[in-house]
Amino acid sequence: MIPFQFEYYKPTTVKEAVSLYKTLAIRGKEPMYFSGGTEIITLGRLNNIYTEAVIDIKDINDCMVQKFDDKHLYLGAALSLTQIESNDLFPLLSKVSREVADHTARTKITLGGNICGNIFYREAVLPFLLANSTVLIASEDGIKALPINDIFNKELQLDDGEMLIQLVTDKKYLDASHIAIKRRRQWDAGYPVISIAALKIENTIRLAISGLTEYPFRSQQLEQIINNRSITTDSRIQYFIENVPTPILNDTEGSDKYRQFVLKNTLKDIISELEGV
Amino acid sequence: MTIIGKSVVRKEAEEKVSGRAKYTNDYNSSSFLHGKAVISTCAHAKIKEVDTKEAEKLTGVRAVLTGTPHVLTGEEIRDRPPIAYDKVRFHGEVIAVVVADNPIIAKQGASLIKVDYEALPVVNSPREAIKKDAPLVHEDVSKYERDDGANPIPKSNISNYFRIRKGNVSHGWSESDVRIEMEFSFHPSDHIAMETRAVTAEIKPNGYLYITSSSQAPYMIKKLLSSYFNIEEGKIIVNTPLVGGGYGGKASVQLEILAYLASKAVGGRPVKMINSREEDMITSPCHVGLDARIKLGSTKNGYLKVAEIQYLFDGGAYSDKAVHLCRAGGVDCTGPYYIENIWCDSYSVYTNHPYPAPYRGFSHSEVLSAFERAMDILAKKLQIDPLELREKNAILPGHTTPTQVRLNSSTVGNLPECIKRLKNRMNWHEGTRQEISERIVRQKGISCVWKNSTIPTDSSSGAILTFNEDGSINLISGVVEIGTGTKTVLAQMLAEKLKMNVNNIHVKMTVDTQTTPEHWKTVASRGTFMAGRAVLAAADDVIRKLKGITSQVLRVNPDDLAVGNMRVFIREEPEIGLHFHEISHGYTYPNGNAIGGQIIGSGTYIQSRMTNLDPETGAGRPGPEWAVGAQGVEIEFDKRDYTYKIIKAVSILDVGKVLNYKGARGQVVGAMSMGIAFGGRETFIFDTEGRVLNPQLRTYRPLYYGDHPEYVVDFIETPHLDAPYGARGVGEQGLLGMPAALANALSEAANVSLHNLPITPELIWWEKEGNKQ
Repeated sequence: MIPFQFEYYKPTTVKEAVSLYKTLAIRGKEPMYFSGGTEIITLGRLNNIYTEAVIDIKDINDCMVQKFDDKHLYLGAALSLTQIESNDLFPLLSKVSREVADHTARTKITLGGNICGNIFYREAVLPFLLANSTVLIASEDGIKALPINDIFNKELQLDDGEMLIQLVTDKKYLDASHIAIKRRRQWDAGYPVISIAALKIENTIRLAISGLTEYPFRSQQLEQIINNRSITTDSRIQYFIENVPTPILNDTEGSDKYRQFVLKNTLKDIISELEGV
Repeated sequence: MTIIGKSVVRKEAEEKVSGRAKYTNDYNSSSFLHGKAVISTCAHAKIKEVDTKEAEKLTGVRAVLTGTPHVLTGEEIRDRPPIAYDKVRFHGEVIAVVVADNPIIAKQGASLIKVDYEALPVVNSPREAIKKDAPLVHEDVSKYERDDGANPIPKSNISNYFRIRKGNVSHGWSESDVRIEMEFSFHPSDHIAMETRAVTAEIKPNGYLYITSSSQAPYMIKKLLSSYFNIEEGKIIVNTPLVGGGYGGKASVQLEILAYLASKAVGGRPVKMINSREEDMITSPCHVGLDARIKLGSTKNGYLKVAEIQYLFDGGAYSDKAVHLCRAGGVDCTGPYYIENIWCDSYSVYTNHPYPAPYRGFSHSEVLSAFERAMDILAKKLQIDPLELREKNAILPGHTTPTQVRLNSSTVGNLPECIKRLKNRMNWHEGTRQEISERIVRQKGISCVWKNSTIPTDSSSGAILTFNEDGSINLISGVVEIGTGTKTVLAQMLAEKLKMNVNNIHVKMTVDTQTTPEHWKTVASRGTFMAGRAVLAAADDVIRKLKGITSQVLRVNPDDLAVGNMRVFIREEPEIGLHFHEISHGYTYPNGNAIGGQIIGSGTYIQSRMTNLDPETGAGRPGPEWAVGAQGVEIEFDKRDYTYKIIKAVSILDVGKVLNYKGARGQVVGAMSMGIAFGGRETFIFDTEGRVLNPQLRTYRPLYYGDHPEYVVDFIETPHLDAPYGARGVGEQGLLGMPAALANALSEAANVSLHNLPITPELIWWEKEGNKQ
């Protein structure tokens, strides 16, 4: 049960949505864009988030897009994770997505919600970081396109009232060799101890990590280390671990030391899977 | 037999699968007010101030309750204020209750209450609690009012001390060639019943108190509320609709007390209180934790000579059922083995943790997790096959238990047969370890189990049978339908006894303490036994009455009559007889004369020949029978990552008699999955301040669909002669050995001795490498 009252709006255009946001913000409603609603429900009932107005973006066609043009794949922010998995247009994304929450929840959780939400694992962003995707962001001033690696720093750096519409990915990444490994505290349900997505393009491994720190990240420096074939795999992994951002998470999913252990083995698997191909 | 053993579909199945079954929280009325608790964010603190002003100002708030020193509650020791007064002693303890017009206002009001705490030093484990200089969770436990059976140690954190003294321990050690000593521990966790606890309470203008509760113990609610608040028992009426899983957690009385106080605070208006999942996990009673220390001595041939045991049950902040849990853990302090010399000190200990309710198996899974791990450690030291060690020491008819009961085949069943079948079902002769690849090893691990109940010696059950005009029968029993299908099994027993179609028996699913005869509590796998005996007695009563009136009409001796297919007929001329519909509401002669009257059958059962336990030695007869079994798991373990999958889980249980095959299998598989979750994943994680870091299903995860192994369940049938059709309890046994079997398999697979639950890959990593860093 959500202990606060809020207004509900369901615009049909991006323009309408952003202007609604502005009006509601001026009225002091602390508005929120939403689609699946899983965080509004689960965090709202615990008083961890608060809003007096929600703007449902599911009826906005631009947010529900799944299409190709000559060069790019366009995925709308309001697509549910299960929609993304069943169409499987971006195989690495499907793999990462299938490991998020459980199937029932993923019929509600959306791409944009997973990336922009409060729960910090945000695993759906990992493949886009690797593919240097472009994000389309709407605001009062119109729609802008930005490289995700510029605007995603721990989280998507959106200004108040800005809204993620689509993620645009160069087709060449869709067929790249890839691997996604998610390791949990125990068995196959739960948040990650570590979740890594990796792909190989132009003979270089790229990888992005969630669960190691309080935010997902991709690091050029770490990728250089992992691709440095002049030293042994073990040394590369050791340098990698020495150079990961700190602090490493130390929580109910796993201790920081254990996460390093898991990271070590996961990196081994990624290298052995991708280096040969 | 025609109906006993058949997989009769449970009588409430259609309601449940169609989603129409109603549980306590599904009953609503616009007249209800709604209560919401404010719970402590500290594990141990002085309450300096509870500021309720803002909450009281909120429109729609009808009352705000805070703690008072006047009433203390608790089952065997009255140490618990229903709402914390002066101090909080665990994270999650209720500090205030807001009563409002609707649940939203109640929740808003609750969030407006400000509590000012002054932190106190925390007792964060049972071992810490018994240290000399440990902070006291209660200043002096001996000052509390208590039952005779409770044995607290004054000015300590020990709320109960129970001991077993059997044989001569030093003699046992002198006969032993080999000894092992080990420790084993796990934190409290939770039951995670699908339905969180819910209660409504209403005090009518005439003083009658009506409670509706998701409880396993409606009659205990009546008794305890009567005694806590000095209300006449006859003026308390408790209803239980269907209950969405209990597992022991709903046998404790807690939320009912709050709902009663809340109703009282608003002039008796009906107040509903429901637990959020978080409250259901930490505020209401949880699953007990344990610190165990076990020493075993055996001959070099593997015959156990002595066991010296210390159990420290994590009784949490309030004693409630911990006193009894500690006693039950002492009663069956070993595995199902014959050991001549046993010394066991079992304590329930106050800590600043959530306090425990019963948990499926009532201390048996906890004790067996430790003891059966110790057995494997001993087997390894002796270089004996772990199943062979258990076979050698298996408890048999003629042997005595830790409480010195001499057993026979009715009271103990057949453990060697269970072990033999387990060997067969696990292909034990093929070996216990198989290297699948460089990294993956397949490993088997086993455990034996036993279970007796330690419920009060005078526990009883009653049943009433009434007839409909068509001759069908209504069966009324105080067993709460908590999902075990027991009421359907009772109908099967009655149908068997009366040789009639089970579809012509209608079962009253809900319990109402005013009109339903008492069944002590729906716990301890005693439903089919005690209620079953009551139903059979009621059936005898009905048969006698039916034959009585038939003998008049047919002018025959009642002894010449038989009952079957809803008819009473002459045994040697079956075509001559009367249908139930002709006699169950009196017989009417063609001329209009009537005799007899409606037939009401009643039957009761009270446990017989149970004895109190000797305070010095623990000797005595705690329960009617020990159900035994042997269990195992097969796992695949990754030697690099320390991850594992459970491939197969096996239970061979001596259930005396299978009453409903699929029902029994369902109970066993459900229990096994719970045991796997207890062994492999579920635990509260505490910080250094004693707070629970994962009181949510986001971070505390029971088993999911994909986590389940293949379940193999086989039944052995050695009848318990006192029980209906020979059946032993079957609700709990499937859980008991799972954690130990898992711990034993993983210790072998990882080649490291594991001494904690749950066994996560991180725990194995810690034992293998982490603790060496």
